[in-house]
Amino acid sequence: MISMSIPTLVTFIAYLLGMLVIGLIFYRLTNNLSDYVLGGRQLGGGVAALSAGASDMSGWLLLGLPGAMYAAGMNQVWIAVGLCIGAYLNWQFVAKRLRVYTEIAEDSITVPDYLENRFRDHSKVLRVVSAVVILLFFAFYTSSGMVAGATLFQKSFGLDYTTALWIGSIVIVSYTFMGGFMAVCWTDFFQGLLMFLALILVPIVVVNAEGGWSQAVNQVGNIDPTKLDIFHDMTVFGIISLMAWGLGYFGQPHIVVRFMAVKSSKEIAKARAVGMTWMVLALYGAIFTGFAGIVYFADNPLQNPETVFITLSQVLFNPWVAGVLLAAILSAIMSTIDSQLLVSSSALTEDFYKALLRKNASETELVWVGRSTVAGIALIAVFMAYNPDSTVLGLVAYAWGGFGAAFGPVIILSLFWQRMTRNGALVGMILGAVTVVFWKQLDGGVFDMYEILPGFIICTIAVIVVSLLDKEPQPEIQDEFAEMERAL
Amino acid sequence: MEHTLSTATWFWLIVPMCTVAILSLLGFLFSLLKGDNS
Repeated sequence: MISMSIPTLVTFIAYLLGMLVIGLIFYRLTNNLSDYVLGGRQLGGGVAALSAGASDMSGWLLLGLPGAMYAAGMNQVWIAVGLCIGAYLNWQFVAKRLRVYTEIAEDSITVPDYLENRFRDHSKVLRVVSAVVILLFFAFYTSSGMVAGATLFQKSFGLDYTTALWIGSIVIVSYTFMGGFMAVCWTDFFQGLLMFLALILVPIVVVNAEGGWSQAVNQVGNIDPTKLDIFHDMTVFGIISLMAWGLGYFGQPHIVVRFMAVKSSKEIAKARAVGMTWMVLALYGAIFTGFAGIVYFADNPLQNPETVFITLSQVLFNPWVAGVLLAAILSAIMSTIDSQLLVSSSALTEDFYKALLRKNASETELVWVGRSTVAGIALIAVFMAYNPDSTVLGLVAYAWGGFGAAFGPVIILSLFWQRMTRNGALVGMILGAVTVVFWKQLDGGVFDMYEILPGFIICTIAVIVVSLLDKEPQPEIQDEFAEMERAL
Repeated sequence: MEHTLSTATWFWLIVPMCTVAILSLLGFLFSLLKGDNS
C-alpha cells in the first residue's frame, strides 16, 4: 500500500476541485440541448483532439499497457500500433465528412439522430436500436470504469472501496451534470495534458535512473532476452488480431461525437495533428514506462504488474509531483467515464425523450432531462459497481468490439456510399453486433481471433448486399449526400 | 554479451506509429498552406 502524504493529498484535492470549477463555468453557458450534448458545435481543434484522446484512453493507458509491457515485454506493442493506425484513419476519413454530414442532415446531435436523418427513417427503428445498444453497453462500460477507479484507490491508499466509489462518482457526475459536453471536453483536455506530461516524465526519469536507454535495454536482455523481441510468442494471426483493436475507433460513439462537435470542418486537420501527436507520444510513454519497470523492479518484482506506473511515481518523485501523477491516473479513468455518461444521457434525452415522448419539449426542459439522466445513469452504474466481482460487468468485454463492429462499417459506408439504404444499415448493425457476441463464445483456431475483425467484415458485407438488394434511396437522400460532398 | 533491440523490433516499434504522427503533421501543414485554417 502507498502512504498518502499531505502534499500528495493537497495536490490531489486541488485537481478534483479544478474539475468542479470547470463544470461550474460551463453551467452558466449551457442554454439548450445542443449546448448540453454537443457544446453547440463550438469546440476548437486542440480541445477536440485532446478530449477525443483522453476519453478514448481509459485507465488502460496508465495501468494496463505499462503493466503488459512490464510483464511480457516488447511483444505487447502490437495493440498500440493497431490503435494508432485506426485512430489516424478515423481522423483522416471519418472526421470531416461526419462533421459536415451531421450538420446537413437536419443538424443531428447524436449518432442515432444522424442515422435516422441520413436515411430518412420515419419508422424510428434505426434510432431506437442504436440508442438501446449505446445505453446498454455504456452502462456497463461506465460501471466498470468506476470499479477500476475505486479499486485503484482502495489498493493504493487503503480507502474503503465504497467510499472511493462514491467520491469519484460524485466529482464526475457534478461537473458533467452542471456543464455537459463543454465541461466534459475541457476537463478531458486538462486531463489529457496531465496524462501526457505524466507519460513523458516518468519513463525519462526511470530510464535516466537506470543509466540511459542502452543500459536499460541491456539489463532487460540480461533478465529475460525474450522481452526484447517484438515477435516473441507471436503468430501472424495473433499480430493481426491485436492490431484489429484499431478497427474499433470508427464506431465508438463517445469518440466520433467529438468530430461532430468541432466548430468548423477546417479545424479537423489541426485536431488530427494534435490528437495523433498526443496519442503516439503518450503510447510511447506508457510502453517505455513498463519496459523500464522491468529493470527497476528486477530484484523486487511487483505482485500486480498494473501498478508499475503508480509505484514508480511514488518511489521516484517527491510527494507534490507524485500527487500530480496520481491525478493523471484518475484523469485517464474519469475522462472516459464522463464522456460515456454524457453519450448515454444524450441517447435517453434526444433519442427517446424528445424523439418518442415529448416532441415539443422546450430547450430548458430538455437540458434538465439531460442533467437528470446523467445523474440517473451514474446512480445505476454506481450500484452495479457496488459488487466489483459481478458477472454482469463482464459485458464490458463486448463493448469496444461491439461498437466497432456494429457502428463502424455503418458510419463509414453512410459517409462514402450514396447507394446505402436504411435496411442495409439496420441489418449490418445487428449482424455486426451478433457476430461479436457469438464469436466471443467460441474457442480454438480462427475463433481465437479478436471478434471485432469478423464482426466488422460481416457488417460491411451485410450493408453492401442488403443495400444493393433494396430499392435505390429516395432522390432527396441522394441530393443531400451530393450536397455533403460539395461542402467538403 | 551486450543486448540490443533487433532491427525488426526497432522497425515495428518506430515506423508505423511515427508515420501516422508525421502524416498528421504534414496534413496540418498542407491545410495551412491552402489557407484552410484561417
